[in-house]
Amino acid sequence: MRTLGTVFCGILMLTSSLRLWSQAQTPAATQKTPKAATTSKNGADEGELRFRQNCGRCHMPPESISPREVKAVLQHMRVRAMLTAEDERLILKYLAP
Amino acid sequence: MKRASVVFLGMLCTAFGLRAQSDPPNVPILSGALGFLGSTTAGAGTYQPIIAPVLVVPFGDKWLIESRADVQGFVARENGTSGPYNAQFAAALDYLQVDYIANAHLTITAGRFLTPFNIYNERLSAIWIANLEDSPIIFPIGTRTSASSNGGMVRGVAVARPTWLVNYTAYFSAASTTENLQAGRAAGGRAGLFLPQAGLEVGASYQRFLQNGDYNASGAYVVWEPPQIPLDVRGEYAHSPGGQGYWLEGAFRLAANRSSSGALSRLQLVARVQQFFKGSPVPQDLLPSVDVNQFDFGANYYLPHDVRLNGSYGRAYSTTGNYNIWNFGVTYRFLFPAWPGEH
Repeated sequence: MRTLGTVFCGILMLTSSLRLWSQAQTPAATQKTPKAATTSKNGADEGELRFRQNCGRCHMPPESISPREVKAVLQHMRVRAMLTAEDERLILKYLAP
Repeated sequence: MKRASVVFLGMLCTAFGLRAQSDPPNVPILSGALGFLGSTTAGAGTYQPIIAPVLVVPFGDKWLIESRADVQGFVARENGTSGPYNAQFAAALDYLQVDYIANAHLTITAGRFLTPFNIYNERLSAIWIANLEDSPIIFPIGTRTSASSNGGMVRGVAVARPTWLVNYTAYFSAASTTENLQAGRAAGGRAGLFLPQAGLEVGASYQRFLQNGDYNASGAYVVWEPPQIPLDVRGEYAHSPGGQGYWLEGAFRLAANRSSSGALSRLQLVARVQQFFKGSPVPQDLLPSVDVNQFDFGANYYLPHDVRLNGSYGRAYSTTGNYNIWNFGVTYRFLFPAWPGEH
């Protein structure tokens, strides 16, 4: 039990360290990804935001999705990941503009 | 009149033509993964080649047939740590379901589907998704007997607001002992609250198992993905008469943010801690017979072309003995249209 507690504390410390390390690098990185901002206006930006918010909850995105596959993938994910109709529409616009 | 009809038909054709040009086609897809997994638990090594194909066949915007199977080999020494290697092959149908997307809030599903208890089974158990090879110790709670159910389900987003969503699932399942289609007689549901801007989802699950002595299983889960950093935190708690426990997992990609794509950002470090506390003995509930504490550390590397390498080390502590768990694997995730046409 004590060992497990030590391991748990270790995980917390490791996670905190990684988070601090990541935050230290954030300013430069933020400039590279302005689309991730929540103030995005057009449909494609909003679609990218919804894509990251919903799809990233469970898995890394596949390296590429062709326009022929995207509609069936989104219908599949609408059921499986319980996307809203608006999520589906915006992500479709983002992946197959 | 005839002229008006021709004009009307012309307008319809134009409209469909424009629609066809603007909308991507809705063709069936074949997805899934190929994998080779290796494991050494308490000195006993096993090797598992796996193929897990997913077929999705849409019929318009409302109807969908989707299926996933697992075909896998299991290679191990005859006496665990000694003797000649023996190989066995097994196939299982994880789900084969018909979905009807009735409206923005309701999808009706019939057939065989993954039992929606907490999140691991439905969302994280696929070999190309799971961050660690082994399922959590509490996985059998709420997913007994085969992690799949045969029956009906309703699900969807009950309320959707810009800053929060409530999703739900309710289902029933009939008992089945048919080979590869096993399922328990059960009913249950799950509800979750998702805060997209915070990347936080919390939820709770309930199941009433209705055979071999009725009993309840309940659970709760959390998913947290802070938008600014590539950290995934997931956890579950589950309780049944056979025992209770939890797991908590953190996975961090060595990247400055979620959009980074450098070589180092393809590396993901994973840690998981879990505890299980034995309750009353319940026959065939697939839970350990004693209390178990376990931790795992692992690393995943996402190669180009959707190939992933993974390795992990874990140690389990229980009154029946402590032991090491070493895992390694490689998976290839595929996705392509299952219908001819221009790519």
